[in-house]
Amino acid sequence: MTWEIGEEIIKKILEKAPYAEGKVRRERRLEFKIPAERIREFLMIMKENGFPLMLQISAVDWIKEGEIELVYHLMNIELGTHAMVKVRIPRDLDKAKMPTVRDIYPAAETYERDVHDFFGVYFEGNDKMEMPWILDDPERGLYPHRKDFDMLGYVKKKYKILDRFDENKDKYVI
Amino acid sequence: MVTQEELIREARENGMELYPIEKDTYELFFGPQHMATENFSIILKMDGNRVVKAIANPGFLHRGFEKLAEFRPWYTNIALLLRICVPEADVPEAIYSMAVDEIIGWEVPERAQWIRTVVLEMARVSAYLFWIMGLSFKLGVYTAGQWAAAYRERFMRLFEELTGGRVYHIYTIPGGVRRDIPGDKWLRQLKDTVEYIKSKLPDFDNLVFENYITYKRMEGIGVMDRKFALAEGVTGPNLRATGVAYDVRKDDPYLLYPELDFEVPTLKEGDALARALVRRYELEQDLYILEQLLEMGPPSGPYKVEDPRLKNLPRFKVPAGDAFAHVESTKGDFGAYVVSDGGNKPYRVHVRGPSIAHGIRVLEQLLVGARIADVPVILMSLDNCPPDIDR
Repeated sequence: MTWEIGEEIIKKILEKAPYAEGKVRRERRLEFKIPAERIREFLMIMKENGFPLMLQISAVDWIKEGEIELVYHLMNIELGTHAMVKVRIPRDLDKAKMPTVRDIYPAAETYERDVHDFFGVYFEGNDKMEMPWILDDPERGLYPHRKDFDMLGYVKKKYKILDRFDENKDKYVI
Repeated sequence: MVTQEELIREARENGMELYPIEKDTYELFFGPQHMATENFSIILKMDGNRVVKAIANPGFLHRGFEKLAEFRPWYTNIALLLRICVPEADVPEAIYSMAVDEIIGWEVPERAQWIRTVVLEMARVSAYLFWIMGLSFKLGVYTAGQWAAAYRERFMRLFEELTGGRVYHIYTIPGGVRRDIPGDKWLRQLKDTVEYIKSKLPDFDNLVFENYITYKRMEGIGVMDRKFALAEGVTGPNLRATGVAYDVRKDDPYLLYPELDFEVPTLKEGDALARALVRRYELEQDLYILEQLLEMGPPSGPYKVEDPRLKNLPRFKVPAGDAFAHVESTKGDFGAYVVSDGGNKPYRVHVRGPSIAHGIRVLEQLLVGARIADVPVILMSLDNCPPDIDR
């Protein structure tokens, strides 16, 4: 899919950030893939080049590859163009660390707290990381959105309704 | 533990007049049971009746929709995700369906696009009426609130005839809509309702939006400027009240919006009153859009795609890929990021609730220095929808 304005934006950004890969997904949708350690400088470039609004930070747990993918959703208000900045980091708890981008996009603070609570990615430099967020204290540190989170075991432990579940059945549709 | 001196110094830096220092600050838990907060909780540190510090305390509604969505087949998820934002339940349906359409590469038929646009606009009008109800109750103008609830009821009835459900519709599905519009009689009823509500707008103006009390209560409180709002990721009417004309319907058009003629109202003040007035002007624009759509009339053709895969919905599979779709809701830019690994269930659904931007950090900063009586008004002027935050 070709979209000329998008190609120009990508060309302009890749000149300043040669380590990145960029492509036009469709009209008004761009995608960038960058190494995790360059995220701060890349987002600074993006902000200077007309992407002032951060919509959210999504995390996807790719358990087979042993990686967590973070997707920074940015919006260009004037051209109405949405850009995804994709980063992959290891999913081991002691290695899943990212620098915070709170000083570049202040809105990122909330999304980083969200990703930390549900995926266990630690954002260095965000001092609200350890503050209580949506989960209650007993759930904190379990990282419920990870794919290896034992949902059935958790439900059994928490609500103590053992006889409702059949041990021999391996799949449940809840 | 923050000391009192630090709190007072922080409040002074924020430009607030303080009572004598010997007065104690105390902690006040505002919500989630308090009616004015709508299931949201704020911990307020108070000095007299002034807020010195506010800490948003979400999590009372958390139902884990995103996790549950990973265990359900693609089509079953609509009945789950639409419960994210109750006053505007059609928006989560639409964004999820649009994202899935994009991953599969489906072109939605014209008739379905027309119906989706009408449903989204109806949802916007009824959500604004719901908001007027909340605002009037918090300002003490109960009459206007009851009017708004009664007018919203007309839309509920139309929705019931169209979809079978009053609040939760389960109507917009990937590939189109679930069933066709009931007929010309329904279209006539919708037209009458739109005209009726349009004729009633001056009453709202007289009672709420041009009222001396409203101006006294709302003017100059909770002020944010353009730069602050953009940095904090605020969207929707809250951003437009600071002078930025960002509207997803204009800037990243979807469905039939490129063909429609409407304005994006903006104001520059950025206070609670400006946010309320922007919503009032938008209500008028939404009714105008509905009029245009009804004049256009539904195009002929099928109301959903014809695909053999739809014969067996539990085994329906979506090819691997990801997509982001967003629409303009009354709260702001509502988006969904959907990832598929080729299975019969989504690999990941991440919903961007617009309230997460203006409901946590912005709220915490706007409340500093406000009086306790202003807290519900600021909260209502931001139009915070707590289920967006606790998805």
